[in-house]
Amino acid sequence: MPLNVQGTFVSQKINKIRWIPEEYVETKNFFTGSWDDDVNSIKVWSFESLNEDQDVEIPRQLSEYKVEGDVTQIKFTDKKTIAASVSNGDVKMLEVSVYDKQTPLREVHTWKKLHNFGAETCSCTSLDTLEGDIASIGEDGNVNILNGRRGDVSQAIKGADSCSLHSVCFIKLNEVITGNIRGHMKIWDIRSSTNKPAAAFLLAGDELAATCIVHHPTQPHIILAGSESGALAVWDLRMNQFPTSLLNAHAAGITEMQFHPENPNKLITSSVSGEVWDWSMETLTKKAQEDCVPLEDKTAMNVNTLMPVLHKAVNTLHCDRGRILCGADNEAVYLLKNYKY
Amino acid sequence: MEDIQAVKRVKTFILPDKCFENRVACAWRRGNKFSIYPRSQIPNKTTSESDNKTADKILVFNQEILLFTPILRKLVNEANGTFLSLKKVTETSKNTENQVEYLKLSRQYRSIIRVCIENLQEAGEKEEDAVARNNLLSYLTIFYSIECIWHLCEILYIDIIPGDIVLPFLLEWVRFHFPHHEQSAVQLLESCERGSEDNPDYWDTVVGMVVQGRVDVARALLKLHSAVDTNEFKLVDNSLRSMPVYSVYSGISTGEFTISWKHWQAECRSKLSSRLLAHQPQLELIMRIMTGDYSAFESIRGKYSSWFDVLGGWVMFTTPWARRRELGAAAAACAGLAVGGGGHLDVMVRAALEGDLYLVIHEIQQMADNGWFATHLTDVLLQCGKLHILDKHQTDVTSRLRDSLVLEYGSLLLEHQSLWPVGLSYLASVPDGARRAELMLERIPIRTEGKALRVVAEAKKYGLLGVAQSVCSCMSARALSRGAAGAALAWGARARSAAQCARAAHRALRAYCAGGALPAADLLLTAGATLLVDDTLLLLGKYCDFHRLYKSREFKKAAKLLVSLITSNIAPDYFWATLLLDALPLLETEEPVLSAADSYELMLCLELRAACLARPQAELLRLALARNLARTALHDVQHD
Repeated sequence: MPLNVQGTFVSQKINKIRWIPEEYVETKNFFTGSWDDDVNSIKVWSFESLNEDQDVEIPRQLSEYKVEGDVTQIKFTDKKTIAASVSNGDVKMLEVSVYDKQTPLREVHTWKKLHNFGAETCSCTSLDTLEGDIASIGEDGNVNILNGRRGDVSQAIKGADSCSLHSVCFIKLNEVITGNIRGHMKIWDIRSSTNKPAAAFLLAGDELAATCIVHHPTQPHIILAGSESGALAVWDLRMNQFPTSLLNAHAAGITEMQFHPENPNKLITSSVSGEVWDWSMETLTKKAQEDCVPLEDKTAMNVNTLMPVLHKAVNTLHCDRGRILCGADNEAVYLLKNYKY
Repeated sequence: MEDIQAVKRVKTFILPDKCFENRVACAWRRGNKFSIYPRSQIPNKTTSESDNKTADKILVFNQEILLFTPILRKLVNEANGTFLSLKKVTETSKNTENQVEYLKLSRQYRSIIRVCIENLQEAGEKEEDAVARNNLLSYLTIFYSIECIWHLCEILYIDIIPGDIVLPFLLEWVRFHFPHHEQSAVQLLESCERGSEDNPDYWDTVVGMVVQGRVDVARALLKLHSAVDTNEFKLVDNSLRSMPVYSVYSGISTGEFTISWKHWQAECRSKLSSRLLAHQPQLELIMRIMTGDYSAFESIRGKYSSWFDVLGGWVMFTTPWARRRELGAAAAACAGLAVGGGGHLDVMVRAALEGDLYLVIHEIQQMADNGWFATHLTDVLLQCGKLHILDKHQTDVTSRLRDSLVLEYGSLLLEHQSLWPVGLSYLASVPDGARRAELMLERIPIRTEGKALRVVAEAKKYGLLGVAQSVCSCMSARALSRGAAGAALAWGARARSAAQCARAAHRALRAYCAGGALPAADLLLTAGATLLVDDTLLLLGKYCDFHRLYKSREFKKAAKLLVSLITSNIAPDYFWATLLLDALPLLETEEPVLSAADSYELMLCLELRAACLARPQAELLRLALARNLARTALHDVQHD
């Protein structure tokens, strides 16, 4: 079956979208986090088919959790709990009921004003989770490691960066990588007590922000970062001074990247220019282990567009097997079905 | 005359009395907002507690905008997509005819309106609050009329009609927007009972079907009458069946068709005048309608809510060969059926049929949809090349009209917290929109860096580099006021603003002089070409580099850098002391790192700037310089 794109307007700009995993069936539920509206919220939705028409599924809102400020990131800490960062500096852990998705989200932990400029509010720009731990970053340049089980701050790296941090990713249990507004990438060893990065390198020469970082699901030494200019950089952390590849990809900033959970050779990216692309990463990641890459192989990238280009930014995507969810600035969510991976 | 019209448009709001005691003043805020405030304050001095409290209030007024309700925001966003597609179509095909594309996009607009209507209906059913439901219902009325007019305009101006024979399309329009009779016909036919004439709606439905041109349905309904086998029924059925229908593809010329049609109508007339139907007044009425009898139409007019219900029938039974531009007379005739003046919708439909698009657009603008309809319809019609509007000096003002509508609509959206990028895309499509966009974009409240980055990206997309720069400068200034030198430098560099960078650099240097750590070292070491924006920034960057070299014990390189910093004379006065004293440890190293020539240079600078240093410090430095000179006099330092 061909790829099927279906959009629904939801009257809020969507900044983050996540499928809610189910145990044995294909999930129908997802989270959205909105931004840039008078009142922003984290909502739970469910796809419901209209009457007898089985093909068309319309999302219906199940519950709403209002937040003060933009929702900047949503990540799962386990199957039913999410960690969400908010632009007023809060980090929240929320739990969705397994049995009845309609019940309001339950607050597990809240770290109020975790990021702040003293009395002034400071945006918590992103977070990443790994086995119940949360690493949050903010415009204040601090990195906080939170323990999701106990609900406390287990480590804080104050002044990790002199300007604002915009992306973060766990590499190992004790290592996080952060990217700032000028494209500086720093690796932090959580156990070390000095506020010194274990390694630091540059994303690109243009000094634009690193907007998102992911690591390869099966080869954890491979790190990818998306830039505000739309470039995509790949590092092999075993030789991390310079990116092994720097690809000028999208026309404007990359907003989110995800490796397909079932097929690690597929990468899906979304961008401010309204594009959603699908990359075949075989050449980039496999060959990176060897010392030299044949030039013709390196330039041969397999990139497809998955959706007609939108006129507004696509802020987020999340895929689950053959279905990809996208959230965009035109106040719509898109469901792409029959994606071949 | 104009004065009276102007006065009619003025709305009066009653302010609370207290406002006027202190002489009110008014100030515009961003967009369609203004505030009223007292010009002189009289603090209440009776008790100490209420010292700060006065009875004065600041009142903020803003226009309530229909389009900003959640349901209609979907319409705004979706229509924006279609608007931009239309723009792309016109740009890519400047010279080729693109009627099919335009039609597709016009239909897309209509389907957007339909979805919106369905959403409103659904919300209306669910809503329990009476006021809110009433609001929804009034929105529904607005969008029903929008859909109706858009459809008519599409038929008359955008659609591709073979042979320009408009009748089938007109009938379709009437059926689509006035489905009342069709619904009851379906009910009657479904129950399929002989003797359906007992149903009170029976005859109205039959007549309705004839007027809407559903001859087959009307005949099927007549068959349900208990007296269907009588001669009168057979006669009418026969006449209905034999009615000639024109089709471009039937192979008959218009002339030929006209003859056969007139012949058919003459036959009908003769049947009427033979009084065969005198016993069946309803059948007689149907026959009279079929002959295009004005009085017959007059008699049924009362059963319909508007005159355009019967428009299709009138055209069908008087001039079925009418072309698109020839509907004016029919419209006049049908409108004449009504008693009393019509509403907005009447005026609009009539103007559209008469080809007076100027009046149509003028009337549309009076609708309470915040200009959504007027903007998009005018845009489509202009791009199709169907809109020609002349002002009183006979100059073509069509595109100016369209531009001004788009401009207003775009500005309206630009005010909204969330819809600003949509507004921006409208403003970008009109010639003088950029200027307005610039003014409004600068005033968008920005609370987070994420939003700032997005505003900058949008501004750059439309070439508003001034806005991008000023947003970055503001972010820089804001960071500086918090004392975050690093962030201030990062944003200052983005703005490429020498002044901002200098301010941030000065702040950092002063902080360092006051005994703090050197801020933003991580940033400065990798800043590269950005440092060249400003001298002070360059000094800061290089000074940072000096610290790095010194810490990694590369004294020779550090010394060289320091000397070049001192001799280049770019340091601000307050920093000289620090810079000169930094030379002290380098002069005392085990192996000399500063050459004799360097020492002379430093001595010169020290004497010129002696005022910067306290006396004992200066003495100490002089001593160190002299000792270094002594060391290097015999064996000078070799710089590699």
